[in-house]
Amino acid sequence: MSETSLLVGPFNRVEGDLEIRLEIAEGRVTAAYTNSPMFRGFERMLLGKPPLDALTITPRICGICSISQSVAAARALADAAGIAPAPEGARVAALLHAVENMSDHLTHFHLFFMPDFARPDYAGRRWHDRAVARFTAMEGSALKAAVEARARLLHIVGLLGGRWPHTLAIQPGGVTRAVSMRDKIRIGASLKAFRDYLEGVLFGAPLEAFAELDSIDRLKGWDRGDVALFLEIAADLDLARAGPGPGRYLSFGAYPGPDGPAFGRGIWAGGVAGPLDTGAIAEDISHAWMLGETAHPREGDTRPDETMRAGAYSWCKAPRLDGRSFETGALARQVIDGHPLALALADEGGVRARVAGRLLEIARTQRVLEALAGAINPARPFMAAVELPQEGAGEGLVEAARGALGHWCRIEGGQIASYQIIAPTTWNFSPRDATGTPGPVEAALEGARVAGGEDTPLSVQHIVRSFDPCMVCTVH
Amino acid sequence: MQLHSGENRPSEEGQHLSQIETFYDVMRRQGITRRSFMKYCSLTAAALGLSPSFVPKIAHAMETKPRTPVIWVHGLECTCCSESFIRSAHPLAKDVVLSMISLDYDDTLMAAAGHQAEAALQDTIEKYKGNYILAVEGNPPLNEDGMYCIVGGKPFVDQLKHAAEHAKAVISWGACASYGCVQAAKPNPTRATPVHKVITDKPIIKVPGCPPIAEVMTGVITYMLTFDRLPELDRQGRPAMFYSQRIHDKCYRRPHFDAGQFVETWDDENARKGYCLYKMGCKGPTTYNACSTVRWNEGVSFPIQSGHGCIGCSEDGFWDQGSFYDRVTDLTQFGVEANADKVGMAAAGVVGAGVAAHAAISALKAAQRKTQSDKEEA
Repeated sequence: MSETSLLVGPFNRVEGDLEIRLEIAEGRVTAAYTNSPMFRGFERMLLGKPPLDALTITPRICGICSISQSVAAARALADAAGIAPAPEGARVAALLHAVENMSDHLTHFHLFFMPDFARPDYAGRRWHDRAVARFTAMEGSALKAAVEARARLLHIVGLLGGRWPHTLAIQPGGVTRAVSMRDKIRIGASLKAFRDYLEGVLFGAPLEAFAELDSIDRLKGWDRGDVALFLEIAADLDLARAGPGPGRYLSFGAYPGPDGPAFGRGIWAGGVAGPLDTGAIAEDISHAWMLGETAHPREGDTRPDETMRAGAYSWCKAPRLDGRSFETGALARQVIDGHPLALALADEGGVRARVAGRLLEIARTQRVLEALAGAINPARPFMAAVELPQEGAGEGLVEAARGALGHWCRIEGGQIASYQIIAPTTWNFSPRDATGTPGPVEAALEGARVAGGEDTPLSVQHIVRSFDPCMVCTVH
Repeated sequence: MQLHSGENRPSEEGQHLSQIETFYDVMRRQGITRRSFMKYCSLTAAALGLSPSFVPKIAHAMETKPRTPVIWVHGLECTCCSESFIRSAHPLAKDVVLSMISLDYDDTLMAAAGHQAEAALQDTIEKYKGNYILAVEGNPPLNEDGMYCIVGGKPFVDQLKHAAEHAKAVISWGACASYGCVQAAKPNPTRATPVHKVITDKPIIKVPGCPPIAEVMTGVITYMLTFDRLPELDRQGRPAMFYSQRIHDKCYRRPHFDAGQFVETWDDENARKGYCLYKMGCKGPTTYNACSTVRWNEGVSFPIQSGHGCIGCSEDGFWDQGSFYDRVTDLTQFGVEANADKVGMAAAGVVGAGVAAHAAISALKAAQRKTQSDKEEA
């Protein structure tokens, strides 16, 4: 009587399709199985194509994080050619990428995550009326303001990249658009307008004040903007303890510059920071409908198992580092960058920590954007000459909004001979591995409360969305 | 307004909806002022290329006609179409159009989840049988009985057929729904199939592009909601008002093409002067879309303006035409002034059926590909 199984999905307000099977006993989730029910086969389409086609094809994996894919592809090809992009080009690519990540964070908070608190299920809570007014799906006042601010911020991508999504300007050697002094001023104006929005609406105070928070107590004391509403809800619903992840975080390092990435690279496990060895990455396919062996993405393959064999339950492979699952995303990036608030949140590791980590990153990324834009020198070259090799291999490691994204490419006879992609949500939403260890979300869902009669448990919704899943990237 | 999202709503509102609302009612209820409404009508007329004398007609139609419900579904895709849509140029137009369609079903933006969402879809279909517009983003994969895209435990192709059965018309958003797009790239691992190959008994309007321009999307949907009919379509089923012009003909760099001034390598001196990108593989000469006039991200720019050639993403098969950086070689074969309609008509003349024209054009293109360099074998 007390043991039941529940299939939750499709999920709305996540990018792409997702289904989760829950085993429930005594009002708690005892086991979760995530399935990414959409497979398109990008890694197969790329085979035999001219290597530069990856710049056009891989961004189309995802219409939300297309620049991340574009930057990763450009880096993988540059790596194969053994060249570095022109410094100004790299700067503009980082600027474009940071704008997209910022937009995604804004989208997640307003369009995907917060609307759940406007549900009638929460009627009667002291914050509910405000949540309804601000965050009701598609019509809350905060949503409209965020969508408009985001559209204006994306003018920068429009200006430098021609359009968003599916920008074409980012190349292995840099960017196709040389930035003029006039462009630089327009970018500065767009960034100023965005800062005004963030400080006036989302945070209700200077971003620096939020970025300076260094403890959970100080975070809890934040009483301005929509951030305060989130924190109030989080305290009332105890979101701090909902959905703790594996406690291991991974980041490839975001926005590389001459002095290293703006947000550092590395891992953090069991309270200890460490270096990242990408050679220790392997994709386990024991529970995926894929054929082949566990392999490093350099040697990996993507052959769907059309029999959809029993025992497997997802199209998603299970990436592991040294055989262990890792959580990736904004919180992970901030933890690995060593920010004191993020380190405090890392121990907490639940829904509140993920969302607060994202807000912290918004506050900090604005300064990164301003620094990148300010440093552009219009007189210098924006593109280095690149000769792609007939034979070669390269890796492109970037940080998308949702976490670590890697492209591994091998060129033979002037054509793509192998192309493997591990997306952030592949890490976070991976199925079990050969040892039976669940993926980060599967682990986070264990213990989630399920009230009687709930067929789409609210706690599960909050936990899943706190990761900001992008399912179209997960299985590509 | 998630009336159909399965959430508890006060019953009096349910009764209110049983009467037929006009668009104007809906907008006013969403807090849009009369002044904004009139502004919206002017913008719409302008976007659709109609004269100012149409403004009162649009206003009258919106005030008196019952609103047309829209169901928006997603198959194999990347959501770039939705992403494009929600940042259309005039926040007003976006708000108004979103307020019109938000009453119904969109599984990316709506509030409900899981079984509630499925119920909402079913409710909307039942309630507006024969009256709603089905907007499709993405396409169904047909291999292995459609198992590569499962929505609510069933193949997406089933959801699509079910939703289309009682639709008044179907909008194929983007290259995915219109032509298949990248997931249909060789070897098309999942047999991703465009909507018109699966739904054959409904009027279908294709709005290709990867993604389509936001203003084109709002323009098309507004036209259909306002005038209750499809806009004029070209031979490929695209709205002529947005797809009748070649990128190349309206390109601000065209004078440089005519003068023989070309970018030779990325970021060379010619690139900084804004010369033509033809030699860098620009597909503007064979692509029909409004990018060079309407532009992107609220009219800021478009790919050619960013110094990168057009990749022809609104054309059938753009993803499998050889390298994106090869020069267009079929210019001379078609003749510089040939357009898609002429090609389409010639093909239709041969086979005698508009439906087959599409396949014939693809065959033509395949034949042309063979005349190109041989590195495209794979």
